Amino acid sequence: MQVERVDFVNVPTRDYDQSIAFYRDVLGLPQNPRVPTEFETGNVTLALFDPTEAGLEFATNGCGDIALRVPDVAAARAELEAKGISFVGGQDTGVCHMAFFNDPFGNALILHRRYAP
Amino acid sequence: MNEETATAGIDVERVDFVRVPVKDIEEAKHFYGEVLGLEQNPNSPADDWIEYEVGDVTLAVMTPHTHDYEFAPLPIGTIAFRVPDVAEAKGKLEAAGIQVFEIWDSGVCNGAGVRDPSGNSILLHHRYAPYPDGTMP
Repeated sequence: MQVERVDFVNVPTRDYDQSIAFYRDVLGLPQNPRVPTEFETGNVTLALFDPTEAGLEFATNGCGDIALRVPDVAAARAELEAKGISFVGGQDTGVCHMAFFNDPFGNALILHRRYAP
Repeated sequence: MNEETATAGIDVERVDFVRVPVKDIEEAKHFYGEVLGLEQNPNSPADDWIEYEVGDVTLAVMTPHTHDYEFAPLPIGTIAFRVPDVAEAKGKLEAAGIQVFEIWDSGVCNGAGVRDPSGNSILLHHRYAPYPDGTMP
């Protein structure tokens, strides 16, 4: 079986406007001009999806954290905290820095930067 | 890229990885590596954190219970794998004993849901219609 790439990663939402404001205005991700509920991250598309539209129960992405590469985790964390975003914690794994936070509907996100070769 | 929106925020460069929680790493290696045929990253950092490269993004297949948190499966259709032909991919997975849900057609793309051995929901996906500007994915 041939898998060519990941077309998108779904990000569950309960309110498109609120999620769009977060991903576009707080994180600053470029919005797909063709599909305003999709955001481009440089390599893969994040697609907002309200599962209740499909008759499904809402559930967050659970342990399916999406790791966003930023130039400097501490600086990005400080910038988000200044915008009122709370962080669950942070970690230096010995090869990378990580800071854990959630989007407005509880989806798990990570600020990530690997510093070791 | 939209320059106006790209200048705001925290300079996200890309998605480094998406975490895929699993209950049993050996079972997951069989599914992602052998059944789906994804390429394992030889630099995967640990036996309980195996990375697969899927063309554009890394999937970090890992066991939450060895990383101090509780397993919760990915919800419906979280990761959409682009395949050349959804029906053909469905047939191959079913031949390998994997249950695949019915194929749907959105009018621009086909999809069929699958669950990995840990119950994570993934999607076989193929867009067949061009975008309004005539380009193809």
